[in-house]
Amino acid sequence: MKKSKLHRKSLLFLALLCACVFAGSSTPALGTEHVLAIDLATESATLDPGLQYNTDSYTVYRNIFDNLLHRDPQTLEIIPWVAESWEQKDELTWAFKIRGDIKFHNGESLKASDVAFSINRILDKSFRSPQYSNYSQITSCEAEDDIVTIKTEAPSPTLLAQLVNLSVVPEKYVLEQGNEKFNLNPVGSGPYKFVNWQKGSQIELTANDEHWKGKPQIVGAVFRFVPNAASRIADLQSGLADVILNLNADNVEALKSDGALQVLSSPTERVAFLLFNCLRDSSPTKAVNVRKAIAYAIDREAIVTSLLRGYGNLVKEVLTPLSFGYDDTVEGFSYDPEKAKQLLKEAGLENVSITFISSPAYDQRVVQAVQGDLAKVGIGVKINIVEQAIYLKTVQDPAQEWGDIRFGIWSSGTMDAHGTLVPLFHTGTLWSSFSNSNLDAALDAAAKITDKEVRLREYKKAFQILQEEVPAIGLWQNYTLSAASKQLEWQPNAQESFFIQDMKWKD
Amino acid sequence: MGISTIVFFALHLSGDPVRLMVPPDATLKDMDILRHELGLDRPLYIQYVEFFENLSRGDLGHSYVQNRPVLDIIRERFPYTVRLALAALLISVVTGIFIGIVNAVFRGKWIEKMFVPFILIGQCLPAFCVGILLIMLFSVQLRWLPSTGARGLKSLILPSITLASLSIASLAQVTRANMLEQLEQNYVRTARAKGAGTPRIVIWHVIRNAGIPIITLVGLETANLLGGAVVTETIFAWPGLGLLTIQAINARDFPLVQAIVLFVSIIFIAVNFLTDLLYVIVDPRIKLEKESA
Repeated sequence: MKKSKLHRKSLLFLALLCACVFAGSSTPALGTEHVLAIDLATESATLDPGLQYNTDSYTVYRNIFDNLLHRDPQTLEIIPWVAESWEQKDELTWAFKIRGDIKFHNGESLKASDVAFSINRILDKSFRSPQYSNYSQITSCEAEDDIVTIKTEAPSPTLLAQLVNLSVVPEKYVLEQGNEKFNLNPVGSGPYKFVNWQKGSQIELTANDEHWKGKPQIVGAVFRFVPNAASRIADLQSGLADVILNLNADNVEALKSDGALQVLSSPTERVAFLLFNCLRDSSPTKAVNVRKAIAYAIDREAIVTSLLRGYGNLVKEVLTPLSFGYDDTVEGFSYDPEKAKQLLKEAGLENVSITFISSPAYDQRVVQAVQGDLAKVGIGVKINIVEQAIYLKTVQDPAQEWGDIRFGIWSSGTMDAHGTLVPLFHTGTLWSSFSNSNLDAALDAAAKITDKEVRLREYKKAFQILQEEVPAIGLWQNYTLSAASKQLEWQPNAQESFFIQDMKWKD
Repeated sequence: MGISTIVFFALHLSGDPVRLMVPPDATLKDMDILRHELGLDRPLYIQYVEFFENLSRGDLGHSYVQNRPVLDIIRERFPYTVRLALAALLISVVTGIFIGIVNAVFRGKWIEKMFVPFILIGQCLPAFCVGILLIMLFSVQLRWLPSTGARGLKSLILPSITLASLSIASLAQVTRANMLEQLEQNYVRTARAKGAGTPRIVIWHVIRNAGIPIITLVGLETANLLGGAVVTETIFAWPGLGLLTIQAINARDFPLVQAIVLFVSIIFIAVNFLTDLLYVIVDPRIKLEKESA
């Protein structure tokens, strides 16, 4: 019925349409060879890698710039990149030797001083970089000949992991142009050169044939910003886009039947979890037995199979196996509603009611599934959905008045337990609603030493405490989901990077 | 100024841009440093006074997220909104008034009955529905037109039809009602008695007399469209003010939101003023009445 009406309606506009179709022109984005078109959900906030640190920005700019270090796409090991080698001189001092054969797109050579400038620029408070916190452990950074020396405040086990994210900018060009102009017309040394940024709509890049790693196979790329998922799917189906990112499990179901398309997925270091308010006196979740009861009451496997359609791996703790420090020996919690009821009975809280705070940024179906599971064991759940900015303000408020339970998906970008456990569970940190001096001691000890064995031991201790005290329940390891034309050869990996140089057109 | 004040306080009291900007594992100390650099740690009344001081100098500030002057950002986006608004307006005015006139003239005939379903569809279907249906047909099935983006005239067609589909219906209804009222007036009978045909009567006499309510509606519609069409712009990834507004609000990019609100208010007032001027041109009696009063 709807469709026939639509046809009639379209007839009405036919004359107008025909006129426009034939009069209209849209020029091809770049050259004659096929340019890779990528649909992102939101526009890059900036192309200056010293500024905004969000996926939509670095998905684009990491193709324009080279990073100091790199992760091997397969093994995820940290490997040399702009720095050809490095050594730890003492507890606090690191030296990086910079390659001599890298040139920026404007022809100038990349020097050690450019690397030091890239770090010091972020550390300069007046630059207002949201990335400041990633590097605030650095006390000094100096260049001499081809060596960059970095000193940290305390021994830092995560320094190298952070430097994987450091893009090197050309000092001379940035100083000549100023920050604002540099952001609009970025010059890097990466495999792709910046061409044009149509604000709000798209960014064009073209291959840097002189890149030190060799000429990239794909001649150019257009990153398009398409906030609506259904529109991104239409773009892919109509051939306007070759790859679309930021999909969910329901989106990709519809694409699987299309023979010309492929669904690409990869487990990431993002972990989904439920976190309890263990500090507020009026919260039923202050009692450890209530927290344990909830942990036993949730059917995590059902959530992963039915809601995520299998795009998730169950985890036993709030960390994924991809991160350093993951402890496979932790017992975790099985689905056991009877045990949950018994624990509630012991706690004398059989008909308890709790508040679940959430924001539209999280999958509401998961929140509702948890509500349903808890109702089965006699826990009433009131869902309180607030807008993201208010959500952050409320849950991060030291007053801890946000409710009793919340859902989250966490990634620290360093693939290290430190970046997850400290912000979520250490006493007094931003996201923590838990306080335990033994846990703090273990986390502090692991944070200030670079010896891997000692660190693993401390994290093992930490996970034991987390298993006993249950300040949170690990739910699953999250997947990235994207879809692409079958012509494209690409395998997304756990670090959620988007390096066009790793992609190819099939012959 | 009233609008700016409301927006200023509503925004500042409802969320903290710094929390949205920093990586999730940033510490409180790191956030305080950024907050200080952005001037957000000062008392609210000082920020408020400063906002108006800067405003009086024409400085609307820098976007927190993009780190660029907000006026530059609006200047880039506004032309897209204008382009989309004008195209949608053209389609809706031409189609809406045409259907309205035809329905009035052929009242109760088969022609009117044929148009009724379109009016109903236009009134019932929300923009996201019309938009997605158009994309499925013209982009995915026929591959005639691009589904998203803003490159060339081709990409303007689907969003403008989507946007217009909402106002075609209301314009057609208003036109029809006013035409019917005018067609029963004495001057129409006189004209008929003098032997004038229907086309001549409608074009030379009735439209001018039925014009004022239509102009009012078109004026309101224009102001609305120029403020940015959030849903349509989102579906078609059209980089206009609507999309920018949503992004700025979600990021609590205070200076950008304030500038957009101010800008859209000025446009609203300007368009309403122009509409009033248009009344005088269409119907000279309005001016005379004012003068005699």
